Amino acid sequence: MSELAIEMNSLRKVYRSFWGGRTVLAVDGVTLRVERGTTYGLLGPNGAGKTTCVKMLLGAVHPTAGTAHLFGRDASEAEARRLVGYLPENHRFPTYLTANSMLDFHGALSGMDARARKRRIPELLELVGLGRWGGVRLGKYSKGMLQRVGLAQALIHEPRLLILDEPSDGVDPVGRKQIRDILHSLEESGVTIFVNSHLLGEVEAFCRDVAILDKGKVVLEGTVKELTAGKGYRLTVPAALPDNLRAEIARAASSMTAKDGVMEVQFSARSEANRAIDLLRGGQIEIEALTPTTSTLEDVFMRSIHG
Amino acid sequence: MASHIYTATHAIVLDTFREAFARKIFWGLFGLSTAMVLFFLFIMKIDIVEGAAATISMFGLQSGKEVDAARLVKQVQAGVATFLYTWGMFLAVFASAGLIPSVLEPGRIELLLSKPISRTHLLLGRFLGNLMVVSFNIVYLVAGVWLILAFKTNIWRPEFLISIVSTIFLFSILLSVVTLIGVTLESTALAVMIPAALMVISPILAQHKIMMRLLGSEWSRRMWRGLYEVLPKVYDLGKMTLDFVSDRGVESFTPVYSSAAFGAGVLALAVYIFQRRNF
Repeated sequence: MSELAIEMNSLRKVYRSFWGGRTVLAVDGVTLRVERGTTYGLLGPNGAGKTTCVKMLLGAVHPTAGTAHLFGRDASEAEARRLVGYLPENHRFPTYLTANSMLDFHGALSGMDARARKRRIPELLELVGLGRWGGVRLGKYSKGMLQRVGLAQALIHEPRLLILDEPSDGVDPVGRKQIRDILHSLEESGVTIFVNSHLLGEVEAFCRDVAILDKGKVVLEGTVKELTAGKGYRLTVPAALPDNLRAEIARAASSMTAKDGVMEVQFSARSEANRAIDLLRGGQIEIEALTPTTSTLEDVFMRSIHG
Repeated sequence: MASHIYTATHAIVLDTFREAFARKIFWGLFGLSTAMVLFFLFIMKIDIVEGAAATISMFGLQSGKEVDAARLVKQVQAGVATFLYTWGMFLAVFASAGLIPSVLEPGRIELLLSKPISRTHLLLGRFLGNLMVVSFNIVYLVAGVWLILAFKTNIWRPEFLISIVSTIFLFSILLSVVTLIGVTLESTALAVMIPAALMVISPILAQHKIMMRLLGSEWSRRMWRGLYEVLPKVYDLGKMTLDFVSDRGVESFTPVYSSAAFGAGVLALAVYIFQRRNF
C-alpha cells in the first residue's frame, strides 16, 4: 500500500453549464500529498475549491484533468473508498431513520457484515456521547447531535482515512471538545485525518500539515509549525550584513527576508533574538527595530489570501 | 466481494422500504389493496346455485338473474386486471416517483457516493427497492382477490395470476422512465407526468392500423409508426393480459419484447447519466 493516504496530481475541475456557454474554474491544478497517519487541514475562503477537491477524492465529482489517488488506488474506483470515512458539510440524513438504523445502513454499504455492525453501533454511539439516543429518529436530533452521529457514521467501518468537512459546525463547545478528543485518539491509532474547515483556530490546534487554497489553487502549504514560525520576535537590520554574521544569525532564525534594503529576521524564542542582537552589536551593526510578533494560522491565512 | 454486493443491495432495498413506510407510500398502496380485498371478502357475495350458476349480491342487494359462475369469476378477474393496469399503475407511479430524486438531494448523495459501491449498484439497488415496494402490493392484491374468489366459488383459475407478472413488468418499464427523469431532472412532478403521458398516449398510438389509412402524408405515417414501435406498449400489454385472463388467445408477444427493450434502454441511459453526473 502507498505511503500516501491522499495524492492529488494537477487536479482540475471546470464546471460547464448545460449548454456549454458558462464555465466556472473551481479547481485549478491542485497537487497535494497527504502522508499516512498525519492530520491535514485544507483551508480557504468560501468558493476556493475545497469541497470540490474533497468531492473529487470521493468520486462525487469527476475531475476535468489530473488524477486523485487514495492509498495508491485511483479515487474513481469504488474499492478505493473502502478505507475512507467521510462526513460532509451540510449532510442530510433521512429523518425517518434512527441513529441505529442509519449506522446499520452505512455500515452495510461500507461492507460490514451484520454481526460486526451489531457490535460496532452501540460502541460508536457511546463514543460520540449518544449512547441512549440510538433508537430515536434523527428528526428529533439537534444540529450538534446530528454532527456527532455523522461522525459516528464516518467511523462505522473503522476507516484508515477520515475526511471531515467542517466537522464541528453547529456543535457547542463541549461537543467540540468531545469531537477533538475523538479525533486525537484516532490520530494516535494511526488514522489519517483530512479536515476541510474555516475554523482556523481548530485547524491550528489539531492539524500537523495544512494547505491554503484560493481561487482553486494551492497558495501555501506546509506544516503548521513552519507556517506559524513568525510567532516570536522580528528583528529589522540592514540587508547588507557580513557573510559570517549572516550565517551565524541564520542558524538561530526561523526565517530571513530581505526587502527594500532591510533584512527582517524572525526568531521563535526570545533567547535566540537576544543572541542575534549580541552578535549584531558586536559587529557594530545598527538595529533598525525589534518587534514582538504573534503570528497565528489566521495571520498566515489572511496574508496568503490577501497578499 | 459477492457478500458485499448482497449486503449493500439488501441495505439499499431495506432503506427504500423504510422511506416508503415513512412517506406513507407503502401504507397508501397497502391500504387501497386491502380495501379491494375486503370488498371482495365482505361486500361482494357470490352464491353458487347448482354448481355452475351464481348470483351476486352487494350491500344486501341481489342481482336478479343467475349467471354462469365461471364466466362471472373471469369477468371479475378481468375487471381487477384492468383496474391494476390503469388506476393501479398510475397510483403506483404517483406514489413512488419521489423515491429516486430523494436520494439525489445534496447532503445525502455525497455520503452515498463516498461508500465503496459503484454508482450503478446504488441506482439499480434503489430501482429494485422501489420495484419491490410496488410488487409486494400487486402480489398481495391479486393473490388476495384470486384466493377470495376461488374460495367463494371453488373456481381456481391460475390464468388470473399472470396479471401479477404483467403488472410488475409494466411497472418496471414505467419505473425506468421515472428513474431517468429522476437522475436527469430531479423532478418528482415530471417523474409522474411523463409515465402518465406514456400511459395515456399508448391506446392512441395503438390505433396505428386505422391511423395508417387516415394520415395523409408518408412522413406522418412513419412518425406515428415509429412512435408506436419505440414507446412502451402499455395498451397492448394490458390487452394481452386481459386476453390471457379471459381465456382468449394472445396474438403476438412483440409488445413484450419491444416494451422490454424500451425499458432496458431507458434504464441503461439513466445509469449512464448517473455515472457521469457531478454531485
